Amino acid sequence: MYLQAISQSLKTRIFDFQITKQSIILYKFTVAFIMKFIPIYIEAGISGFESPAAEYKDLGLSLDQLLITHPNATYIGQASGESMTEAGIFDGDLLIVDRSLTLKDGDIIVANFNGCFVCKILDKTQARLLSASKKHSPVKINPEDDFQVEGTVTRSIRMHQKSPELAACMR
Amino acid sequence: MYALVDAVSFYASAEKVFDPSIRNKPVVVLTNNDGCICAVCPIARRLGIPKFVPYFQIKNLLHKNNVVVRSSNYELYADLSERMMNVISMYCDDQYIYSIDESFLLFKNFGGLIKDWHKYGHEIRRAIWKETKLPVGVGFGTTPTLAKAANHAAKKLEGYNGVAVITSPNSAKAILQKMDVGDVWGIGRKISQRLRQQDITTAFQLSAMSAKAIRTEFSVVTERTVNELNGISCLSWDDVREPKQQIFSTRSFGQRIVDIHALQAALTKHGSIVAKKLRQQSSLVKKLVIFASSSPHDDDSYYKQSIIYKYPVATDNSAEIANAISEIINEIYKPGVRFYRCGIGAIELESRRFQQPDLFMPDNSNPALMKCLDKINNRFGQGTLKLAAEGKSEEFQMRREFLSPLYTSSWKDIPKISCV
Repeated sequence: MYLQAISQSLKTRIFDFQITKQSIILYKFTVAFIMKFIPIYIEAGISGFESPAAEYKDLGLSLDQLLITHPNATYIGQASGESMTEAGIFDGDLLIVDRSLTLKDGDIIVANFNGCFVCKILDKTQARLLSASKKHSPVKINPEDDFQVEGTVTRSIRMHQKSPELAACMR
Repeated sequence: MYALVDAVSFYASAEKVFDPSIRNKPVVVLTNNDGCICAVCPIARRLGIPKFVPYFQIKNLLHKNNVVVRSSNYELYADLSERMMNVISMYCDDQYIYSIDESFLLFKNFGGLIKDWHKYGHEIRRAIWKETKLPVGVGFGTTPTLAKAANHAAKKLEGYNGVAVITSPNSAKAILQKMDVGDVWGIGRKISQRLRQQDITTAFQLSAMSAKAIRTEFSVVTERTVNELNGISCLSWDDVREPKQQIFSTRSFGQRIVDIHALQAALTKHGSIVAKKLRQQSSLVKKLVIFASSSPHDDDSYYKQSIIYKYPVATDNSAEIANAISEIINEIYKPGVRFYRCGIGAIELESRRFQQPDLFMPDNSNPALMKCLDKINNRFGQGTLKLAAEGKSEEFQMRREFLSPLYTSSWKDIPKISCV
């Protein structure tokens, strides 16, 4: 009678979903005591060791964090052509362009030159746009040209194997 | 001190950010389904291109002036809007984003450090132009309504050049005298008509009225506007940022619809959009208006029907809105009518936080399910998971014939930069 009452009360407690550590230990103990069974643990998600790395799982490396310093002022474009190869920018490379930086002589920039985005090296003193290739001569910026700086190229990314996302825009 | 910063014809300006070839050209942007002109860039405005007229009516005028026409590229506008708002947020201690291109700023603590508001306004403009290539107007005022008036002056009045400041009754007078009473924030078309009948045509004349008299003749809301124009703050920061009182989703169809199921699917889709917006601002809908009409430009006789649906218990559940639509669809649909436009409006809202539960009516809104729906759609794209009643709605797809590339949200559309 007495034992039945204990197990009944434990059942109710379990069905009330009030499983506490104590009640489970008590339950295990009672079951072993009454039935002389090998104890069977109730699976309540508290058995086993927690992964010691669980606290650290949010610490992945983010390429955005590394490559983009000013997210609001940064956009991504794609280089097309061979005039910047000696600066390490090849046809199809991704360019990360930051509009917020102050321009320095010799910076690789993106500019709107007569209605077209171009990637060149800025020669402030002589008001010229230089290429990084012997085959391309410098371009003089004249007052009648439509010219606006559209940001500094801070990084470029080469895709050594084809990416399905970019495949559509590579000819 | 308050400020209102907003972009100069935002949609048209956004189209120019990643397309340098149209920077110096007149540009207009069309609404959903390429129906109407909804944005006109300053160059196009100078050519006399009107706003809010049906595209087909001025097609020839646009063609004659070599105007660049674009469909609404919402993906691009949303991205640029977020960038713009983030840049603005660095210039104040509290910001409220009022619409896709407008944001109120509040200067509470470091307001005292700013000596020259004019200079500061130009600093904000320069930063936004440099970092996002969007032109903005900045208006400062001692109340939100005056900030809005200053912003109007900054953009529309001669000689202000993008920045206007109202700090004293004199600086207020200079601007309000040149401002139409209908342009005052909170003065709608009906009220401005009645004011005009009393020979009140400028904002300054309105501000000179007795607030008490305005209250008896109009309402306490208009009284507040008059006080605000006189530099007396009536709208608290929380009033400015109060959630929307009504939510509508409506659109004309790409083609005319004659089938009852297609109409129901379109309405259900609008219902889902409204429900999503309700959930975003933690509101529940008590009263819905459901409407559909034929086109006034078609030759057939014009048909329009709208039904008000009242919920016993307010809800934000997409399925409950769909149920309402299927209940009333037979009252809206009429065989033979070529439907051109339909929509859903949530016209009476309640706050979820202060909801009064009903002892006898169960709450069927199932927030957990809706949260799950929103999470899936936010992560995998809108429309990934939807109600079956919305149908496989190809014909409901927006017509966007002149859509520019999704420069910032699709890899295949990123801007090409020439290295030749």
